[in-house]
Amino acid sequence: MTTGLALRSVTKRFGGFAALEEVDFVAHGGEVHALLGENGAGKSTLMNVACGIYAPDEGRVEIDGKAVSIAGARDAAARGIGMVHQHFKLVPAFSVLDNILLFNPGRPAAEVGAEAQRLAARIGFDLPLEARAGTLPVAEQQRLEILKVLIGGARIVILDEPTAVLSPEEGTALMGLIRGLADEGAAVILVTHKLHEALHHSDRITVLRQGRTIAETTPEGMNPAELTTLIVGEQIVEEPELSSHVGERVIWLNGVELAGDAGRRGLTGLDFQVRAGEIYGVAGVAGNGQSELAEVLMGLARPTGGTVWMDGENITEAGPAGRRRAGLACIPVDRYRHGLAGRLSVADNYAVNGVLAGRYGGWMWLNRAKARARAREAVEEFDVQGVRGMGQRAALLSGGNAQKLVIAREFEGETRVVLAHSPSRGLDVRAGAAVHARLRAARDAGAAVILISDDLDEILLLSDRIGVLSDGRMAAEFTAPADRAEIGRAMVSHGDD
Amino acid sequence: MATTENLSLRERATKPRPAFRLVPLLEPRQKVGETRRIAVYAASLGLAALLSVLLLAVSGVPPSDLGTEIAATAFSSPRALGSVLAQMAPLVVAGLATAIAFRANFWNIGLEGQMILGAICATAIAIFDIGPEALRLPLMMLAACAGGMGWIAGPAYLRQKLGVSEVITTLLLNYVAFNLLLHLLYGGWKDPVSSFPHSEQYEAVERLPQLGWQTLTWALPFAGILAAALWWILSASRLGYLLDLLSANRDMARAVGVPVAGLSLAAILASGAVAGLTGFVISAGIEGRMTQDFHVGYLFNGVLIAFLGRNHPLGVVIAAFFMAVLVQVGQSLQVFFGTPFSLVRLTQAIFIICVAGSEFFLTYRMNFRSAS
Repeated sequence: MTTGLALRSVTKRFGGFAALEEVDFVAHGGEVHALLGENGAGKSTLMNVACGIYAPDEGRVEIDGKAVSIAGARDAAARGIGMVHQHFKLVPAFSVLDNILLFNPGRPAAEVGAEAQRLAARIGFDLPLEARAGTLPVAEQQRLEILKVLIGGARIVILDEPTAVLSPEEGTALMGLIRGLADEGAAVILVTHKLHEALHHSDRITVLRQGRTIAETTPEGMNPAELTTLIVGEQIVEEPELSSHVGERVIWLNGVELAGDAGRRGLTGLDFQVRAGEIYGVAGVAGNGQSELAEVLMGLARPTGGTVWMDGENITEAGPAGRRRAGLACIPVDRYRHGLAGRLSVADNYAVNGVLAGRYGGWMWLNRAKARARAREAVEEFDVQGVRGMGQRAALLSGGNAQKLVIAREFEGETRVVLAHSPSRGLDVRAGAAVHARLRAARDAGAAVILISDDLDEILLLSDRIGVLSDGRMAAEFTAPADRAEIGRAMVSHGDD
Repeated sequence: MATTENLSLRERATKPRPAFRLVPLLEPRQKVGETRRIAVYAASLGLAALLSVLLLAVSGVPPSDLGTEIAATAFSSPRALGSVLAQMAPLVVAGLATAIAFRANFWNIGLEGQMILGAICATAIAIFDIGPEALRLPLMMLAACAGGMGWIAGPAYLRQKLGVSEVITTLLLNYVAFNLLLHLLYGGWKDPVSSFPHSEQYEAVERLPQLGWQTLTWALPFAGILAAALWWILSASRLGYLLDLLSANRDMARAVGVPVAGLSLAAILASGAVAGLTGFVISAGIEGRMTQDFHVGYLFNGVLIAFLGRNHPLGVVIAAFFMAVLVQVGQSLQVFFGTPFSLVRLTQAIFIICVAGSEFFLTYRMNFRSAS
């Protein structure tokens, strides 16, 4: 086995903060190497060093045993290091082939096209070279990304949280593809915080914690609990805990319809109700109407049929403002789209509810000192970490802390209904557990909680009742504890067949 | 992989590393402190000033004379300073109009059209002697606001309802407005006294009063008050906060219940209203009538001033002052050194490019060190 990529005693500081401290990481050709760690553990920084976006302050980068100095991303690509980013770097309006050419400039299109076809066939998928990249499903866009770096000659392939955007089936298919690459001799580095991916699909595991290498191990003989302990430095075990007191129904949907169009699935005849003091889990494979349901509940999309009720009021026509006044709290799936304004401060992000409710003054005067003080209290109370000052931009928070900030704001005041859409997506174990604890606390305080998630584990862990969304309709309903396999079957059924 | 055996690639991959980097590695910055921001901004202005001096030196204005020239034309006498301040007033208002729209992510390229409509509406009040004399000026002001708002309302509607790019619509409406202006000035509104294509002179009650210092009128305090009011609204009021939220993340603002459509419409209309006021300030505060070219250059200057002033009302005031000095000095250089006025434009462009380019140093850190 040859050494592919080695990072030796790499230290990288930002200002006074050491993001990496004497980190060692070695990925050999022919293996899938999982890089595990919490948010902020230094995974991304380390990989950015590997592909030339950052230069290490100390330590060295070796390729095939020789120390090299990488001068930027292009140089890294020339040296055979390819990175598939979590957020795809594609030009949506360009064709598949043009995207590949853009990444491999200076080669004749025909040659690259032929190579793309050959490579794609060898690793077991085919891509329409003429299709626009933006029209491809997410999983295929990701394959295009992989193809792009392979045609560039990558022998060291880094995938950053590749399954975050995929359904479980697509994730499994991707893992097969990755194995194929390793079998052909590539060093595949899988950056992830999903334990089962590391345990089931990698040959070796490196764990980072707080910028240091904590362990390098093999998956054999490891169990999730041990691995969790390595990652977070303590044992975190979440157990299901059903509601002790379920009250009256608080929010219910009556035959809700939403017309679908090109990029959007419709909703058909949705009926369900959620009572005070229960968590209603909406399970389903991603893309079966979850985002649309969330938009209908948040008041961002107006149903084309049916009614939505909350506490006996018909809120079908109410917008986000009215629903929030009535006690709706939302934890949106994309924190930086619907949850936070990254370039504004922590205080400004927190303040919006209070501002709209007039708690910090009228239209012509905003008491920023008061808003700031209130935000400081909430940051404390909800344990949002990494906040150096209330004026700090929200974009600088790690995923888990950004989510805590969203929750802190949404749970301010009296909460009747909580809508949580994949609330632990992209969070590490510890932050995920903290979010789950908040949802349970809201439920126990008498809120009706709607949990939309395509992570079935999360649904099973938290829900008191479970509805399965398939093809825009509610295919089945279960009461916890429910049988995982049965839910799985309902997820892939299409209601009418 | 096929390329594993590719020897040339392998050679490239393991090319020995140099001791230091000639070409720095550009590392994205994690965060930018306020001090650095100000320092980089100041440095870019300094560089622009240096380049401008060099440019003028090459075109025959010795740097030593340039210093004296700036001092003499802009600052030496009350008369010079008064003249700079007089030029500054409409520039402030134009910069404010542009900055408001930019703050709401609306690219208002129709400042001149809205100015023209503002001036036309104000002039109509003046020509037809509408309202009592005591209220004549306030009425003209309101009319100017209404004219500017009316002219921007179309593009605002098209953008919000149909997604039509406001860059195109506001820009093209400039030409419509200009032709409307010519139609009036060569037609029914031609000056009956001189038959020249400008409106008749406003009566005294229809003009902003003299300040009693140099040639300055109330146009300058008016611009100052407007800037102060907008500064208050944008930084201390709920409206300003919500507008920040809206421009930082529209989706999020909508999701948390901010009345997104109404708020941006209000900001856009306010931009149009202030643009209309620019026309009013020039007509009633400087020219004393509506001329056929009073608007020329303000679109460009408005964008420039808003940009240099970072869309901040106080920044706009400073940038407008700077621009007024530049224009004044440029005119004097034209007279004494035969420097073409296009050089002044070029100088402005240098400042813009330097400031815009300075963003780069805020986004990236240059790392010359190779790993030890």
